[in-house]
Amino acid sequence: MNDYGHDLLFGSFATPLAQPAQRGVELALVSERAGLDLVTFQDHPYQTSFHDTSTLLTHVASRTRTIAVSGSVTSLPLRPPLGLARMAATVDQLSGGRFRLGIGAGAFWDGVARMGGRRLSTGQSVSALREAIGLIRDAWDPAQPWPLHHDGEYYRAEGAHRAPYAHHRIPIWVGAYKPRMLGLTGAVSDGWLPSIEYVEGGLSGLADANKRIDDAAQEAGREPAAVRRLLNVMNVSLTPTGRGFLDGPPKLWIDRLTTLALDYGISAFMIGGDDPVTLTRFGTEIAPAVRENVTQARR
Amino acid sequence: MGCQVEIGVLLDADSTGADELVTLAQAAEDNGIGLALVTGDRHADAWTVATWIAGVTKRIRVGVPLSAEPFDPMDAGAAVPAVVTKAAATLAALLPERTPPPGDRWTVVGAGADDDTIRDASGSGTPVVPVRSIADVARLAPLAAAPMPAAPAGRPRRSASALAQRVRGIDYDAVPASLAGRAVEPGDPGHHAVSSTYLRGGRPGLVLRPRTVTEVADAIAFARDHRDIPFGVRSAGHGISGRSTNRDGLVISVGSMDSLTVLDASRRLVRIGPGRTWKRVAHSLVAHGWALGSGDYGGVGVGGLATAGGIGLLSRKHGLTIDHLRAVELVLADGTPVRVSDTDNPDLFWAVRGAGANFGIATAFEFETSAVGQVGWAQLTLISSDIEESLYRYGQLASQAHRDTTVFLVTGRERQGQWVISLYGVVDNPDPNTVVARLTPFLELGQLARQQVRMTDYPGVMDNAADIGPDGQQGYGEPVSRSAFVPELTRGFAREAAELLSTDLVYFFELRAMGGAITEVPPGAMAFSHRSPQFQLTAMSSSDDRLRAEWERLRPHFDGLYLSFETDRRAERLLDAFPGPVLERLRRLKAEYDPTNLFRDNFNIPPAALPVSATADRHQAIATKEAA
Repeated sequence: MNDYGHDLLFGSFATPLAQPAQRGVELALVSERAGLDLVTFQDHPYQTSFHDTSTLLTHVASRTRTIAVSGSVTSLPLRPPLGLARMAATVDQLSGGRFRLGIGAGAFWDGVARMGGRRLSTGQSVSALREAIGLIRDAWDPAQPWPLHHDGEYYRAEGAHRAPYAHHRIPIWVGAYKPRMLGLTGAVSDGWLPSIEYVEGGLSGLADANKRIDDAAQEAGREPAAVRRLLNVMNVSLTPTGRGFLDGPPKLWIDRLTTLALDYGISAFMIGGDDPVTLTRFGTEIAPAVRENVTQARR
Repeated sequence: MGCQVEIGVLLDADSTGADELVTLAQAAEDNGIGLALVTGDRHADAWTVATWIAGVTKRIRVGVPLSAEPFDPMDAGAAVPAVVTKAAATLAALLPERTPPPGDRWTVVGAGADDDTIRDASGSGTPVVPVRSIADVARLAPLAAAPMPAAPAGRPRRSASALAQRVRGIDYDAVPASLAGRAVEPGDPGHHAVSSTYLRGGRPGLVLRPRTVTEVADAIAFARDHRDIPFGVRSAGHGISGRSTNRDGLVISVGSMDSLTVLDASRRLVRIGPGRTWKRVAHSLVAHGWALGSGDYGGVGVGGLATAGGIGLLSRKHGLTIDHLRAVELVLADGTPVRVSDTDNPDLFWAVRGAGANFGIATAFEFETSAVGQVGWAQLTLISSDIEESLYRYGQLASQAHRDTTVFLVTGRERQGQWVISLYGVVDNPDPNTVVARLTPFLELGQLARQQVRMTDYPGVMDNAADIGPDGQQGYGEPVSRSAFVPELTRGFAREAAELLSTDLVYFFELRAMGGAITEVPPGAMAFSHRSPQFQLTAMSSSDDRLRAEWERLRPHFDGLYLSFETDRRAERLLDAFPGPVLERLRRLKAEYDPTNLFRDNFNIPPAALPVSATADRHQAIATKEAA
């Protein structure tokens, strides 16, 4: 099994609920206080009970000091690439390098169309994402000639201006499940960002997907370790007795997360549930123990 | 130093770095500047910078001037308009009071503008000055007087010549502090933009522009102290029966209260402020696949229509606009905010749906909208040389049409033995073949001169109205309009209407087809009780006296009137708008909720003599307060 050797990250996978308005901000502040590395929010603009995730991420970053922020994952069909690149670079600059770009090809196409976005087939959406990632990287790259000209199959840019300089090289993490998306993830991305609940086959599915990503990376002339493996776990609970994958006492969480890191190559864990107590214990009790286990094992 | 005004700064993300813009905004706040607008589309993202600024400051309002460009998914630099709208709503929810209130206006002045130029610009909105350095910001400090969110707005000072234009009978110094900063007087530069309504000219002595329920109550308190001057209430200023402008009187304009929020997507439940126009409502709802039928013109405001009825181009399929109301919030004559619905103050909810203008100033409406997709939108022009026959046939076709089809007819004076007939119709059916089939019979009404039929969404229909620009509405003079419900379009009616149209008296003659879903609500359910007529007729003329006489001749064909289109203020018209028992109930409710008859500009219902009831003490208290 694989361990790609990345330093471990722990974070929250939060719902950008619009009511109460401050709920998401509070979860981010709790996450930061708990020492977590990341706060991520789902991005479903057509979901009327949710905030606009980009605005929420920017606001959260402006109210925090250390924690990094990301959409999980940003809906490309509703956030065209150049605007997204500019938004990301702006937050990254203002926050001193705390932006990460989690991105997906799009889902819930009825919702996308209702918001006025472009409806694509699954295959088209993968190609569009690949094209968009190239465009976003170009927009961030100070070495690219300017203004930018692009005449692609899904996007056009005519004399577009550059995004501002980001504070650091913003990693692009892709939400992917199916073979073509996993191939894209391995070939061009900096990270794979699935939710365990949606990975077909659960843990063994993780291993299969990792293999596809490794192969695609190598085919593209990259090291598999160039692609960080991240994981959302939505259904979590701290309870005295073990009842589920991350449903049980801290010891169960620590063992399972250590296994995920060492045997499945997962180096970032984001938990759902939107519960401040669980997030606090995740950051203060569980994360340090998992880090310690992994450090010991890697020696 | 001179007087202080609210000032904004313009921060250009194209020429200044994001970090620097944040520093400038913080300096602006420290110097009492109240607004920071961020612009730019080629470097740092303006919205992100604005959001960041709002997060790291305490008080200054932040905004981004939005441009409404149609979305092209191929354009890698485009933004999806509905997402932009949602982003604005999110920031407003995260940081209440920190984004410019809806309808807020600003004027960008040159970077080198002197103090007087900046002050002069404040009449037509907040002057916004481009700044690129701390020195630029510091230069504005002596002028700036940012209102603290909790503190009253600054009271603008006015020149002697402006003060000379004040009218007698208005105690300008008594304008509540919460409203003074945005109040408009005859001597103010922006006065012309708030004077006219759609069809009516005017010159109000004072326009108060509340933004919140509390400010509406403050404005009503001011109105209570000014009973001897004309008093109008305005949402978007389209009204014909309502006197939402006047000469030398008071106008309370709720045009700034124009937000729209989705309350419950599963029920298609939305909450809308009274100042939003129906065109903007349509554009906000279409992203969800919803629509809310209004009248036939997108420039009408929500408040006036949703308190009267709403006979529109979706009515045969979806009913009147008020049939979709689930709750209304209004401020009563004594300043009390109330919520009315089937469960809260149901009597008042009944009254508000048809006679709302008599009971208070509405501050929010909750509607259950309809699922509406693509519709057929037809604009046909036909030439008729036999208007009697054309009207009669139209009556048959429009009333017997499938209920998804609502077709209105507009015509006017005879021209050389011919009449130009315009048909406006919506077929709420996504199938183009069905649309054509529904509309084809109407082509026989005359010789087809022009036709435009297209598949569109409801905003495509409401886009018939031009946006109200910075100079406001442009009406002039006083409209003369008559309304009637026509139970059935008989041969006799067609004959007499044709006679009327053979004179030069009527320049606008409109028949709105009713029926369908309108008839499915019991007549007693709301104060609007005209459920059975097949048509609503509106006629406009330049001569009140002559039209009045002609109308008497046609009266046997009528049964009641729709108050929104009636300018006759004689008391007997009340019985046309409201059948006897309905009027009696309204008068009793008026006595309970507005016993001193403060709200009197739109089809005034006189309060019944005070009933001997538990509410008598309250009325007594109000009367005493008024006297004091």
